[in-house]
Amino acid sequence: MNRLAVVASLLVLAVGAARADTVLVLNSDEASYSVLSRSTRTERLRLPVGREPHHLVFSPDGKEVVIGSTVTNELLILDAQTGEKRRVVRDIVDPYHLGFSPDGKWLVTTAYRLDHVDFYHADSFKLVNRVFIDGLPSHLVFDAESKTVFVTLQETGRVAAFDLETQAIKWNVTVGKAPAGIIMLPDNNRLLVALTGQDNVVVLDPKDGKVTTSLKTGRGAHNFWPKGDGRHWFLSNRVENTVSLLDTHEMKVVGTIKVPGGPDCMDLTPDGKELWVTQRFLRRIAVVDLAQMKVVTSIPVGKSPHGVMMLNAPAPPAATPPVRAVSSTGAKK
Amino acid sequence: MRDLIDIWVTCQTWIFETFVVPVLFRFELMEWYEPGFKAVEIVMLGVVQILVIALGMRFFEKRWPLERVPNDNLAAVDRTYTILNKLGIVPLAVFAVSYPITNEIEYVVRALGYAPPRLEQIVPWLHDNALASFLLYFVLYDFAAYWLHRAQHGFSWWWALHSLHHSQRQVTVWNDDRNHVVDDLLMTLALAVFSQFVGVQPDDYILILMIGRLIESWSHANVDVSFGRIGERLIVGPRFHRLHHALASPAERHIHDHNFAPVFPIWDMLFGTAIYDGKNRPTGVDDPVVDADNGRGWIGQQVTVLGRFLKALVPRPMRGPFQPGLRPPAE
Repeated sequence: MNRLAVVASLLVLAVGAARADTVLVLNSDEASYSVLSRSTRTERLRLPVGREPHHLVFSPDGKEVVIGSTVTNELLILDAQTGEKRRVVRDIVDPYHLGFSPDGKWLVTTAYRLDHVDFYHADSFKLVNRVFIDGLPSHLVFDAESKTVFVTLQETGRVAAFDLETQAIKWNVTVGKAPAGIIMLPDNNRLLVALTGQDNVVVLDPKDGKVTTSLKTGRGAHNFWPKGDGRHWFLSNRVENTVSLLDTHEMKVVGTIKVPGGPDCMDLTPDGKELWVTQRFLRRIAVVDLAQMKVVTSIPVGKSPHGVMMLNAPAPPAATPPVRAVSSTGAKK
Repeated sequence: MRDLIDIWVTCQTWIFETFVVPVLFRFELMEWYEPGFKAVEIVMLGVVQILVIALGMRFFEKRWPLERVPNDNLAAVDRTYTILNKLGIVPLAVFAVSYPITNEIEYVVRALGYAPPRLEQIVPWLHDNALASFLLYFVLYDFAAYWLHRAQHGFSWWWALHSLHHSQRQVTVWNDDRNHVVDDLLMTLALAVFSQFVGVQPDDYILILMIGRLIESWSHANVDVSFGRIGERLIVGPRFHRLHHALASPAERHIHDHNFAPVFPIWDMLFGTAIYDGKNRPTGVDDPVVDADNGRGWIGQQVTVLGRFLKALVPRPMRGPFQPGLRPPAE
C-alpha cells in the first residue's frame, strides 16, 4: 500500500513537472495550438482552437492564458498552470492582437482584417467601445499608468494613441512603412516601433508620437521580446531572417542571430538561457542558445506558428505589459 | 511525413524569398507578406494538380477511353486554360478584382453590427473536430456551387459566358478550367461572399477549391470508369458529369440541364435534376455559333465570348429575332 502511495506521489510530481515544463505555440494557419515540452524539446500534443489563432496573453491575475481566435470571433481561455482548456468567450470580433492594461481593468483587441480597435471591461469581457480606424490595426501596447494604448497601423504606416477612459484618439502619426511590433520602454518615456516595410526601428515620444531616433536592425524589423534586464530587447527581422539584440540604453544593436524561416514571436526560458522563436514559414520553432547566440535545434509544430508562450515563466519587467506574443506582419489573413 | 513537409516548405520558402519578397519590399507591399507566402503554396499545389492530371488522370483516359479521340488539337486550348488557372495567373487577376469587393462587403456588414453566425457557434462540437468541420463546410460550399451552376444555365446572359465551357466537343480532363474570365469572376465573387457568410476559414477555402477542382477535372475525364452504383451517388464521376456535357438532340433538347452538381450528386437527386441512365452521348453544344469556339485559341475565345455576353445583356425587347449564342427559348 505504501509503495502504491509513493508511486502515485511520484506520478503526481512528474505530471506537475511536465506541466511546468510546457510551451504553447499557436498554429495560425490551422485550427490548433501545439503543447511542447521544454526539456525534451518535442511537441507533446496538438489541440483544436477556433480558427486562425495569432496571439495569446496572460490574464491580469496570471492564472489564465487568453488566446484570440480571429475567424470564429472568440477567446479561448486556458489554465495557465496546466495549459488545459477552461472556457470560450464569444462575440469578441476578430481578436488578432490583444492585451490587458497594467492595472487589469481593460482588455483591448485589434481587429486587423476588419479595421477596428475594441475596448472591453477586462473582468466581464463586455464591449465598451469599438473604434473604426483605417490601416490594418496590428499590435498594441499600454503605458505604465494604464491611461493610453498605442496601436500600430500597418497599411497606412501610422501609430495611433487612444485614451483608455474615453477611447478618443489622442494622436495618429506617420512613422514609416508597415509598423508592426511596439513596446514601451521601462522609463515610460519611449515607444519602440518595428518597421516591417523597412530595416529599422524608430523611437517615438509617447506624448505626441514624434519620431526621435531611428536604429537600423535588419529588413522586415517586426517584433520585440524583453531579455528581462530592463535594458536589452530581442527583435525579429522577418525578411532578413535574423534576430537582433538591442541595447535600449545605448540604442545600438549588440548582437545578431541567424534564424531562418521568417522569425516572428519569441519567448525566453525561465532560466534566461534560451530564446524560442517561431519560424512562420518552416512550421517550426527555433531554440536559440543565448550563450552561443545561435540556433541549436528546431522543433516541428503546425502550420504558420505565430504566438509562443512559456508557462511557468517569470513575470515580464514591470513597465512591460503582460503581452506575451507581440507580433506578426499579420498581413491580410 | 515530416520529411515531406520540410521539403515542401523549404521549396516554398526559397521561391518566396527569392522571387516574391524582393518585389513586395521594393514596392512597399509588405502587408501582403503572409498572403504572398500562401500564394506561392497555391502555385505549387497547382503544379501538383497539373502533374496529377497529366500523369495520373491522362493514364486512365489513354488506357480506358470512352470515346476515340481522332484529333487531340481540340483539347490543346483546354490545356492552356488549365495551366493559366492552376498556376494562379487567372485566379490572381480574378482575386485582384474580387478582393476589394468582398472585403468591402464584409466590412460594411460588420460595421452594421452583424457578425455572420459560424457553424461552430450553432454546433459547438465542431470546434474540436476540424475534419468534420471541414467536410461540413465543403458540403455547404458545394450546395452553393450547385445553385450557381444552375444559374449559369438559367440566365441567358450567364449562359452566353458559360456556353464556352460546354462548347468543347471532346470533353477530357483538361476541360474543367475552360471558362471565360468574367464567368470565373462572377463565380468567385458569389462563392467568396457565400463562404464569408457561413464562416469558411480562408485556408479551408483554398483546400476546398483544390480538392473540389481535382474531382471536377476527373469528372470531365474521357474514361469508361464508374465508381459503382453507390459510389456514383456519393461523389460525381465521369459518367455522371458527361451527361451534363451531352449534345442536345430533338428528343433531349435540355439534356445538359441535368447533373449539375460539382462534387456531391445529392443536390441533383434532391432537386430533381439527376439522370442515371448509363447511356453514352456525344458531347458539345447544338448551336453552330457556340460550336465555333472550337476553332479558336484562348484569346480568340475570350474576345468572342465577351461579345456574346455583352449582346446578351441587351434587354430582350431590343434584340433582333435571333441572337446567335443565346439559348433557344424554352419549349
